[in-house]
Amino acid sequence: MNRFDMNKLSLLILLLLFCTQPLKAQVSTGDVLIKNATVITITDGTLENTDVLVEDGKITRIGNSLRTPNGVMEVDATGKYVMPGIIDAHSHIAGTSINEGTSQVTAEVQMADVVDPLDISIYRALAGGVTAIHLLHGSANVIGGESETLKLRYGVTNPQDMMFEGAPRTIKFALGENPTRGARARGIQPQSRMGVEAMLRNSFREAQIYKQKWDEYRADNSRRKVAPTYDRRMETLVDILEGDVLVHCHSYRADEIYMLLNVFKDFGIEKLTFQHANEAYKVAPELAEFGAGASVFSDWWAYKLEVYYSTAYNAAILTNNGVTTSINSDSGELIRHLFHEAAKSQKYGGLTDEEALALITLNPAKQLGIDNRVGSIEEGKDGDIAIFEGHPLSVYAIPVMTFVDGVKYFDRETDADDQRLYVDPESTIEVVQIFDADEQHKCMQDAEAINLYEFLNN
Amino acid sequence: MKLLLRNVLKLALLLPLLFISHNLAAQSDYTGQSYPTQTFAITNATIVQSPGMVLDSATVVISNGLISAVGTDVSIPSDAEVIDGGELFVYPGFIDGMSNTGAVRPEQMERPDNLFTPNPPNDYAGITPEESVIGQLDVTENSITSMRKLGFTISHTVPYGRMLPGSGSLILLSDEKASYDLLLKQDVSMFTQFSGAPGAYPGNTLGIMAKWRNLFTQAGYNKEHEQLYAGNPGGIQRPQQDLALQAFYPVIDKTKAVFYHTNSMLEARRAMKLKDELGFNLVLSDLEEGWFLLEDLQESDIKVLMSLNLPDEPELSEDEEKSDETVQLEERRQEAYDRFLSQYGEFKEAGVAYGFSTMGTSSNNIKGNLEKLVASGLSEDMALAALTTDAAEILGIGDIAGTLDPGKIGNAVVTTAPYFQEDSKVKYVFVDGEKYEFDTSESASSEVSEEAEELLLGTWDYSISTPQGLQTGQWIFTNDGGTLTGLITSDAGGPDNDMNNLTFLDGNLTFDFDFDAGGQSVQVIITGDLSDTQFNGEASVEAFSMSIPVTATKSPN
Repeated sequence: MNRFDMNKLSLLILLLLFCTQPLKAQVSTGDVLIKNATVITITDGTLENTDVLVEDGKITRIGNSLRTPNGVMEVDATGKYVMPGIIDAHSHIAGTSINEGTSQVTAEVQMADVVDPLDISIYRALAGGVTAIHLLHGSANVIGGESETLKLRYGVTNPQDMMFEGAPRTIKFALGENPTRGARARGIQPQSRMGVEAMLRNSFREAQIYKQKWDEYRADNSRRKVAPTYDRRMETLVDILEGDVLVHCHSYRADEIYMLLNVFKDFGIEKLTFQHANEAYKVAPELAEFGAGASVFSDWWAYKLEVYYSTAYNAAILTNNGVTTSINSDSGELIRHLFHEAAKSQKYGGLTDEEALALITLNPAKQLGIDNRVGSIEEGKDGDIAIFEGHPLSVYAIPVMTFVDGVKYFDRETDADDQRLYVDPESTIEVVQIFDADEQHKCMQDAEAINLYEFLNN
Repeated sequence: MKLLLRNVLKLALLLPLLFISHNLAAQSDYTGQSYPTQTFAITNATIVQSPGMVLDSATVVISNGLISAVGTDVSIPSDAEVIDGGELFVYPGFIDGMSNTGAVRPEQMERPDNLFTPNPPNDYAGITPEESVIGQLDVTENSITSMRKLGFTISHTVPYGRMLPGSGSLILLSDEKASYDLLLKQDVSMFTQFSGAPGAYPGNTLGIMAKWRNLFTQAGYNKEHEQLYAGNPGGIQRPQQDLALQAFYPVIDKTKAVFYHTNSMLEARRAMKLKDELGFNLVLSDLEEGWFLLEDLQESDIKVLMSLNLPDEPELSEDEEKSDETVQLEERRQEAYDRFLSQYGEFKEAGVAYGFSTMGTSSNNIKGNLEKLVASGLSEDMALAALTTDAAEILGIGDIAGTLDPGKIGNAVVTTAPYFQEDSKVKYVFVDGEKYEFDTSESASSEVSEEAEELLLGTWDYSISTPQGLQTGQWIFTNDGGTLTGLITSDAGGPDNDMNNLTFLDGNLTFDFDFDAGGQSVQVIITGDLSDTQFNGEASVEAFSMSIPVTATKSPN
C-alpha cells in the first residue's frame, strides 16, 4: 500500500469514527495501558520502566508489569517518555470571536458561546502534546468576558463536547496599553492606567450595590415585590466578588500588577492570575504573598512599549519566589512546542526538570482550578497524557501520541496529511500553507475591526 | 342555548373567511378592469393534490379564492373559466419558509455620535423586536413577481435589520394595491440573527448571545411586574413601557416561535444553546450546514428551514501536472460538496421535516437548485413536501394551505411538465384564487429583457472610490441560457466574484456581492441608474454603515 492510499485509509477511518460519534454532549472516554515508559509524574518524581493504566478515561494504576485488562489497547512505550498532557493557560485557538471590544466592561460575554471545535489548530496543538487550553477573551477592554477551559477532543463537532466539564469559571481582565489605546481613539474612559484602576473600582462598587438590591429583593417576603433591573454584566461581577470566578488579567508592568493586587485586596477577591506579566519578576514576593499566579512567555517581548523591560529569567525568578507560574503560548504556533518553551527556563534560570515541566502542566492546571483532575500523572486523575520520543525538555523531543480522557487523538504513526473536519465546498485550492503567520496573535482580534471602521470613517 | 352559542361561534370563525376572498364577483366594478370570473377549472390534468398523492386526468376547481373541488368526477361550475390541463401538471402553491420577499431594505441609519457606551440606542444596536415587517413591505417589490413566477404563493417574510429586526408575517404573493392586502397572518414570528452593530455593542456573537439572554430574562421580570400592576396598582411602581421587552412576552409564553437565522453549524448550535437555557420555540432558519446536527434534531422539538442556497459545484483544476496533494484536496472538496447536497434527502429520510428558506438565494437559482437536490437523493415528493405541507406545518398554516384539498386557499402552480424536470415551465400560478399566466413559449424562456439585451449585456469598467483609494475592475453581464448573470473582476488581482440578486429594470441596476474580510463575510450592495453607456450609483456596506459612489462605463467591445 503506498503512502497516498494510507492517507486515504486513515482519513476514511477518521471520517467513520467521526460519523459514528454521538453528537449529544456526551464525552468519549477510553482505556489504554501504556507499558514500560519513563513516566514523568510531576508530583511523584520520574519512574523508569513503568506502566500507566487508564480505564474509562481515568488513570487507575501506575506500576510495574501491570496486567492488561481484557480488551484494553496496549501501547509499548519502551524508551519513550510519558508526561501529563500539556495545558496552555493562554490560548485563542478554537474561537470564532475573541473580543467584544465595543464597550469597556463586558463581563457578561462568554467565550463558551464562540467555541469552534472544527478549528484545525486544535489538532496541531494535540500534535504538540497539548490536551487542554484556556480559551481566553481578548484584551481590548478592561473587563473582557468569561473565558472557557477546553479539552482538545478533536473530532467532536458540538462545541459543548469541548468543554472541560466541571472546570471553574474564569474571566479576562486587561490593564495597560490595549484597553487605553482603544479608549483614547474614541475619547472615552480609560485613557490612562489611572483610568483603568478607577474603572475597575467603579465596576466592583456598582456590583456591590447591585448585589445589595437583589439581596433585599430576595429577602423580601412580600408577594407584591418588584424585581430590580436584571443585568448579566453585574451578575458576573458579583460572582467575581463572591470568589466564584477566577480572574486572569492581561498585564505587563510591575506598577499595574501591584495596582491590581491592591484593588483586589480592597474588594476581598483572592483568585487571581496575571497573564503575560513580563515585569512580574519585579514584584515576585508581593505576588507570592497575595497567592496570585503568573502565566508568562518564555522569551518574548518588545512588541510594544510596555513590553520592553523583560527578561527570559522571569519564569525562573517567579518560581524561585514561590509564585505559581506557567508558560503559555497565546499563539497557534507556539502552542505546538510549549515543551521547548518550558525548557528555556532551564537555560535561563536553571529550573529542575520537574519545575520546568510543571510550568506547562500542574501549574497552569492550578491557575485554572483543574489541578484536581489534570496536570500530573496520578492515580485518579484524568487520562490526559502525552508520549514523547526523547525527553520532553530536549531539543530533540518529538511528541508521538496524545490522549485525552484515555482516547487517542494524535498518533504520529497514523497522522494523515489532511486532518480538517470541515471543508468549504467553495474554497479555492491553493498551495498549502502549513501555518499562516497572520493568524498568530489574536489578543486584539475583532477589536481591530473597529479600528478598520475608524479608519474608513475618518 | 349551548347549541346557539356553538353556532354563533362557528359563524364568527367563518365570517373572516368571507373577507379573505376580497374579489367577490358580486361586486360591480365601474372601472371594468376586474377579471370576468372568479372561478377557474383546470380539467384533465395531472394533479398532485399533496406530496405523493397524484390524480391522473383530474380536475381542480378554484372558486372565490378557495380550492372548491378536486378529483376525477368533478362538476364544473357554469361560470368557470376552463383551462384544458391535458398536458399540464398542477401542484399546491409553494410556501417560502423564510425570505425578505416583498420587503424593502431600509435606508442606512445615521451613526449616532456617542456609540461607545455599554448600552447604545436600541435602534442602532439592532434591537427592535417590536417592529413588524409590515413597515418594510412594498407591493411593487420585484421579488414578489419573481418568486411568484417560480410557483411561490405564500412567503414568510422577515424584516431587514441587525440582531433583532422585528417580527415576520405571512404574505400572499399577489398583486395588491396596499401592503396590508398582502397579509395572510400578521407578526407570526420573532426574527433574529447573529448580526452585530457596526462599531457598537453588541458588536459580534459574544455580545449578541449575552444581550439575548439579558433581554429574555429581563422581559420575564417586566412581564411579572406588569401583571402585578395590572392586578392591583396600589403601592407598586408603575412599570415602564419597554416595547422591545414586551415583544418577548409571546416568545416567553411560547405562543410565538423564534426564527433564528443560522446558516452555519456553529450558529445553529448557539441558537440551540439559547433555547436550552431560556426555553422558547425555535426554528433554525436558512440552515446550510445541517448534516452536523441531524441526530440532535431528530430527538428535539426544534423545527428547521433549510436554505435553498447551494454552493457552486467545485471545478477541477485543468493543470495536467497538478500534484497529488492538489488531487487529494480536490477530492475532499468534492466530498464536502456532495455532503452538502445529500443532507437534504437524509433529513427527510431520518424523519426531520423541513421547509425551505430562500433568504440568501437568488431567485434565478431556485429552480435549478431544486433540480440539483432531486438529483442528489431528495425524492420529488420530499422536495414538494418541503415546498408545501412541511413548510405549512412549520408556519402553522397546515389547515389553510399546503395541499389542493377543498376548502384551502386557492393557491396552485401549473406547469408544462413535472416541476422538478429541467424542461418544465410554470404556465399559471394561482394566488388567493387569482390567476397569473406566464408565457411559456421558447422565445419567452429568456428572463433577460430586451432592455437588458440592448443596454446592459457586455463588459463595463467600474471604479469605486474607497477610503483606501480608487478600486477598478470589470463587470461582465451575460445572458446565461436565458438568465441574466454578472461577474465582477478586480484589477487589483482579487478573486472574481458572482453578482447576487441581480436585477435590471427601467434603467435601474441592482446587485450585491459578498467579500471575505478576514473570516467575516461582508455584503456590498450596488445600486444605481444606467443611461446609455454610463452608470452612476453607490455601493453600500451595511457592516460598516457606509456608502460610497460607484461609476462605470460600458466598454465599446
